[in-house]
Amino acid sequence: MQTSNIYPESHLVALLKSRDNKAFSYLYDHYSPALLGIITQIVRDEQLSNDVLQEVFINIWKKIESYDASKGRLFTWMLNIARNASIDTVRSSGYRQMQKNQSLNDPEEPGIDGQDNVNVDLIGLRKFVEKLKKEHRVLLELAYFKGHTHEEIAKMEGIPLGTVKTRIRSALLQLRQEWK
Amino acid sequence: MEVNIQEYISSGIVESYVLGLASPEEEATFEKMCLMHPELIAARDEFERRLEEMALTSAVTPPREIRERIFSEIEIASGTSDIDTLGTQLFPNAREVEPELEVPVISIGWKYWAVASVILLIGSIGLTLFYFNKYREANNRYQTLVEQQSDLAKQNQQAKSILSEKENTIFMMKDTGMLVIRMPAVTGPATQDPIQPATIYWDKETKDVYLMVNKLPEPGLDKQYQLWAIVNGQPVDAGVFDLTDPYTRLKMKKINTAEAFAVTLERKGGSPKPSMQAIYAMGKVS
Repeated sequence: MQTSNIYPESHLVALLKSRDNKAFSYLYDHYSPALLGIITQIVRDEQLSNDVLQEVFINIWKKIESYDASKGRLFTWMLNIARNASIDTVRSSGYRQMQKNQSLNDPEEPGIDGQDNVNVDLIGLRKFVEKLKKEHRVLLELAYFKGHTHEEIAKMEGIPLGTVKTRIRSALLQLRQEWK
Repeated sequence: MEVNIQEYISSGIVESYVLGLASPEEEATFEKMCLMHPELIAARDEFERRLEEMALTSAVTPPREIRERIFSEIEIASGTSDIDTLGTQLFPNAREVEPELEVPVISIGWKYWAVASVILLIGSIGLTLFYFNKYREANNRYQTLVEQQSDLAKQNQQAKSILSEKENTIFMMKDTGMLVIRMPAVTGPATQDPIQPATIYWDKETKDVYLMVNKLPEPGLDKQYQLWAIVNGQPVDAGVFDLTDPYTRLKMKKINTAEAFAVTLERKGGSPKPSMQAIYAMGKVS
């Protein structure tokens, strides 16, 4: 996956914005595995993750005009599209129904008590999150992988909003240290 | 907004913004701060790159059919409907929000890039002039050398042909098949001169006649020397000639038989009959 050098990113973006099919092909071939990785970490169902990936790439194709390079890299933008689509899927009623059918014992919010995620592939961001202290892990899980706002988390966890913010920032700073 | 930028960078906001965990207010603040602090953009970019690397380590290769499904859907979309319109329909706010945020960002980038490109431009103009002068100088030298070379080649060619002519002359003089006829002066003070005016080399086989002028006075502008063969007491024209250096042979007309040869001074171009008053040299065939 070291091939991203073939297109300088600005060139790639210009081609994508001009609806260049080859550029889009390149984009898919080089980024779909990374995006599917993130999607899988959130959706946790292979079939469903593939569907989300498809939806994500169609969205990238449709939304590429609105990508603004001054706000960040192309991958970050795609990653956020993938994350949002994954969270939407997880929150959909169909997904909840499926989860219930699979295992009646599965709690609605896996990961909050820290015991349910042991069989998740320990890769990427997940791997890092699993290493955090529980108070940090739970909040980052809810915020990043479940897409809850800080306010929602404060209510759900019964802790002050300020504490939620401080803990999430603290978790992110540990991430920063980890990746240096 | 007088925040210590280093403190701001290390507050976790960069990671929060990139991962999409910042609130809309925090995002707006972050984007404004980016306009003023290139180091903040650098920190953001660095984290984004790390995030991309990490995502690549957790990559999951999708099944082939997903690719086909996506591309067939895209083809249908781009074939049947206007994607741009679709995009705007889906994200009606995107176009309104962007320009406000985009313009200042571009202006920051613009300053850096403008300064960098002016420096590059000046540098490259300087180099261009420098190398252009070098090139012109080298080209002039090259042209001079080409001219000199061509002059030398011409001179060499001339020298070669002169040399070969001299060689032929020497061979002729050594040739035992040549009849040598000395032509002393007939009248005047030249008869006293030890150097005879001319010599004839007559090839006995081919009947070619060569003349070597040793010493003859300069003819007038409208005059030319003429060689005659005396055949049965009658002069036969053997050609006119100009004075050359004494080491060059002049090829004259072929003469089959003759008792003697004579040189007279005639009008330019020669005469059908010699003016017998002006015989400059005469030699009998022995």
